[in-house]
Amino acid sequence: MRMKIGIHGLTSCYGCQLKMACIEEILEVAKNFEIVYWNMASSKGEIEKVDIAFVEGSVVTERDEEELKLIRENADALVAVGSCAIHGGVQGMIFGEDYEEIFREVYGDSLIDYEAKIGEPLRKYVEVDYCLPGCPPEEHEILYYLATFGIGSYPEEKDYPVCAECRRQGYPCILIEKGMPCLGPVTVAGCNAKCPGFNVACIGCRGPVPHGTAWFDSLARTFKEKGMSKEYIKRRMEIFGKQYEKLDEMIEKVFENED
Amino acid sequence: MNNMNNMNNVYSLYKCRVLRVYDLTEEEKLFLFRFEDAEIAETWTFTPGQFVQLTITGLGEVPISICSSPMRRGFFELCIKKAGRVTDKIHELQPGDVVGVRGPYGNGFPVQEFEEKDLLLIACGIGMAPLRSVFMYAIDNRWKFGNITVINSAKTGKRLLFRKELEAMRDVAEAENIRIIQTITRDPDWPGRVGRAQEHIKYANTSPENAYVCVCGPPQAYHDIFTKLIENGYNPRNIYVTLERRMKCGVGKCGHCIAGSSTFLKYICIDGPVFGYYDIISTPGLI
Amino acid sequence: MRYVKIKGDKIYEFLERLKNYGKLYAPVKISEKFYDRKEIDDVGEIAFDYQRTIMPAKKYFIPPCEEMFEIDMEENEYREKLEEVEPFVIFGMHACEIVALRILDGVYLNEYPDIYYERRRKAGIIIGLSCLPDEYCFCNLRRTDFVDIGFDLFLHELPDGYLARVGSPKGHKIVDENPDIFEEVRQEDIDAFRAFEEKRQEMFKFKGNFDNIRYILELTMQDKLWDEESEKCLGCGNCTMTCPTCRCYDVQDIPEIGGKKGKRIRFWDSCQFRSHGLVAGGHNFRETKRDRFLNRYICKNSYFYPLGTSYCVGCGNCTYFCPANIDFQENLMKIRGREVIHE
Repeated sequence: MRMKIGIHGLTSCYGCQLKMACIEEILEVAKNFEIVYWNMASSKGEIEKVDIAFVEGSVVTERDEEELKLIRENADALVAVGSCAIHGGVQGMIFGEDYEEIFREVYGDSLIDYEAKIGEPLRKYVEVDYCLPGCPPEEHEILYYLATFGIGSYPEEKDYPVCAECRRQGYPCILIEKGMPCLGPVTVAGCNAKCPGFNVACIGCRGPVPHGTAWFDSLARTFKEKGMSKEYIKRRMEIFGKQYEKLDEMIEKVFENED
Repeated sequence: MNNMNNMNNVYSLYKCRVLRVYDLTEEEKLFLFRFEDAEIAETWTFTPGQFVQLTITGLGEVPISICSSPMRRGFFELCIKKAGRVTDKIHELQPGDVVGVRGPYGNGFPVQEFEEKDLLLIACGIGMAPLRSVFMYAIDNRWKFGNITVINSAKTGKRLLFRKELEAMRDVAEAENIRIIQTITRDPDWPGRVGRAQEHIKYANTSPENAYVCVCGPPQAYHDIFTKLIENGYNPRNIYVTLERRMKCGVGKCGHCIAGSSTFLKYICIDGPVFGYYDIISTPGLI
Repeated sequence: MRYVKIKGDKIYEFLERLKNYGKLYAPVKISEKFYDRKEIDDVGEIAFDYQRTIMPAKKYFIPPCEEMFEIDMEENEYREKLEEVEPFVIFGMHACEIVALRILDGVYLNEYPDIYYERRRKAGIIIGLSCLPDEYCFCNLRRTDFVDIGFDLFLHELPDGYLARVGSPKGHKIVDENPDIFEEVRQEDIDAFRAFEEKRQEMFKFKGNFDNIRYILELTMQDKLWDEESEKCLGCGNCTMTCPTCRCYDVQDIPEIGGKKGKRIRFWDSCQFRSHGLVAGGHNFRETKRDRFLNRYICKNSYFYPLGTSYCVGCGNCTYFCPANIDFQENLMKIRGREVIHE
C-alpha cells in the first residue's frame, strides 16, 4: 500500500511547495506516494489521516495555528519544511521587536479579520518530528527524505555547516579571501554551497546549524575583526537566525567591551 | 554472497539470514544469524569481543559486538539495543529476513591468555552483550578455565540482559564452579541482590591473584569498578575492558572511533575495542 | 640516488611530455589569493610559485564524495562501484604533502587495504617540487621539510632549471624515455641546490622541532589556552577539510524513491562536527566545542608509528584557511611555553 502524504503551506512564500512541485521525479513520487492533500497543486482534498505531513510556512495567523494543530492530529509524522517552518523564516524577524509598532506600520488603520501573530516555528505550537531545511529545500534532499520514509525509516539530518560542502566542492573561501560577510560557518549544509560557489556570501537561508552548534558569537567576532559594524552583523544574522536561542546575547558578548 | 564484488573489497557485504529473534528486554533483542553462503557460514569465525558491521539495506551500517560463542560454527548471535535509525529497523526483522554483514573486526579478548586461570566478567547494562561471548566460550571450553564468575547488573530487573538464560543455568552452574551474580541498582521490587556491580566483586568465586577480569559498561562506570577490583586484590595487569564507538568503517579508516590522547592515539576498531587497564588509565579520552 | 637536471627552457616541454603518462594535474590560481590543483590543458597556466592549495592532494585518492556501492534493495545487494581509474600525474607536490600522502598510505593500505584508494594510488605519478616557506609553514618543526621517498621525481629549483631526484622505477622510466629533456648534473647545480636548502632553512619562522609536543600537549589539556582558542572557533571544519592528512569520512545510504535502488556514498567528514563523536543512545565522546577543538590538536600531534612522524606535517593549511585566524603553530608554541609576540 502506498504511503499517504499531505503537503501543507502556512504563512510563507509557498516556495517550498513550488520546489516540491517542480522536482524532476515528481511522477515517481506520485506513483509511490498517495498525495491526499496538496492545496497548491489541487483544490480537492481535505485534511485527513496521513502517514507523513509536510508543512511549510510559519504560524502567523490564528487560522495557521488551527490548521497546524489539525494537521498534527491527523499525521503520524510531521516534517517541518523550510526555514519558515523550522526557524520562523524571514517574517520571524520581528520576534523580540515592538509588535504594536510594527503592526501599525504594516496594517495602519485598515481592518483585518484576524489577529496577526509573530511568525514562529512550528515547534512552538506542535511536536515536530523531522526538519527538512532550505529556502527552499534542495531537490536531492526532498527525494532523500521521501525515500527514507518510503522504506519505513526516516532521514539522517545534517548537523554540520555549509563550509564543509564549500570545501568539498573546492570553492575558494570568500570569507577569508574577500572578507565577505559569509554565514556559511553557522548555516546548516545541504545546498552544496551554491552561493559561495558563485562568489556570493551565504545569507544563512537554510537556517542555523542544529543542536546549538551555530557559533554566531565566534562568527560575529570574525566579522568584527574584518571591520563590520555591530548593527550590520546583527541585521545580517537576524534575517534567518533571529529566533536562534541566545543570538542577541552571542552578538552582544563580542561587542560588550566596546562602548 | 556478493559474487560480483572484488574479493579484496573490505567493505563488501555478505548476506546473512535471520533465523530466530528473541525478545530479551523492552529495548534489546537477540538475533540468530547464518551466512547465506554455506562455505562462509561453516568457516567464518571470530574471537569473543570482536564486532561486525551490520547493514540494513538502504538504511546504513552499524557496529555490533558478537555475543555468541565462536565454538558454535555456522551461526552467530547479536544482541541489539534499539537506539537509533538503523537499530530501530533491525528490531523489525523477522526470521527469514536478510541483512548484510562484514567482519569480524577488532581485537577481541585474549582468551588464550585466560586459559587455566579464573575468569571474572563484570557487565553493566548492554555491556553483557560482548561479555556473553566470552562467557559462552568459557563454558564451551569449561575444562580450560578455573572458577568463573559473571556479575550482571542493570538498573531494573526488566532491563537485565540475558536474565532468563542466566537464571536458568544458575544452580547447575554453581556445581560447575561457575557463579552467576545478578544485581539491580534501581528497582524496589527486585527480590534479589541489589547495588552496583562493583559491590559484588567480593562475592565472586574467583581468586584475585589468579584471575583475569573483563569489564564492559558505560564510560562512567569504569573508574569505580577498577578501584574495587584493585581493593579486592585483582592484578591491574589482568583487567581488560571493551569500548564502544560508532565505527563507520570498522577497518581503521573513517576516523570516527579515533580516541585517546596525543601520546596514545588509537582507532578503537582495529587497536581495540578491547584494551588493558594500563592503556585506559594512562590515556585520557579512551573512556 | 639518481640525479638529473632539467634546463629552465625545457620545463614546459617536460610538462607536456608528462601528459603522455596520464592526465596532468597541477596547481593553478583559482581566485585572487587561492590555488588549487586542476587538470591541465595549457601548461603555461601552472603556478610554480604556489604555496598551498585549498584542496589537498588527498582529493585525487579520497574524493570529497564518492559512491562506493550501488544498492539493489530488492536483492539485498551492495554492488561495488569500481570505475576504471586512468593513469594520472600530479605535478608540483611539496615535501609536506608527499609525507602526508605516505601517512594516508599507512592508514588506507594497512592490513585492511581500501581498494578504492589503492587503485587510484597505483595509477598516480607524483612529481615533487621544492618550495620556500612562508609564515604559516612549520614543516621543519615536524621534520617533514625534506622528503626521502614517496615520489617518482622530485624537482629542486635551480637558478637555471631544476635538479631532479629520481625516486621510483616510474621516475626512472620517465627519465629514460625522455633523454632530450634531461641532462647531467654539474658542480654548479650542486652548489645551487645546497644554497637553496640553506636559504630554505633560514626562512622558517621558528627553529627546532616539535618532537616533545605530544607529551606537553597531553600535560596541558586543561590549559585555559584551549578555552580561549576554542571560543574563537567557528566549528566550520575548514581546518580538517584543507588538512592533507585529515582523512575522516562519513558513510550514508541514499535510497531512491520507490525503494528499489539506492547508493552507499562516503564523503569527507570532520571531527569538528557534533555528530562525529556520537554513539548509539546519544552519548557524545566530544560533547563540547572545546572537546572537538582539542581533539584535532591531539590527533594531529599524535605519533603515526609506521612513519615515525606525527599526523601533522606542518603545512600550515589549517591556519591559513581558518576564517577565525586561529594559529595552530603558535598555539603549539604557546603551550610549549614560548611567548609569541606579534608585531
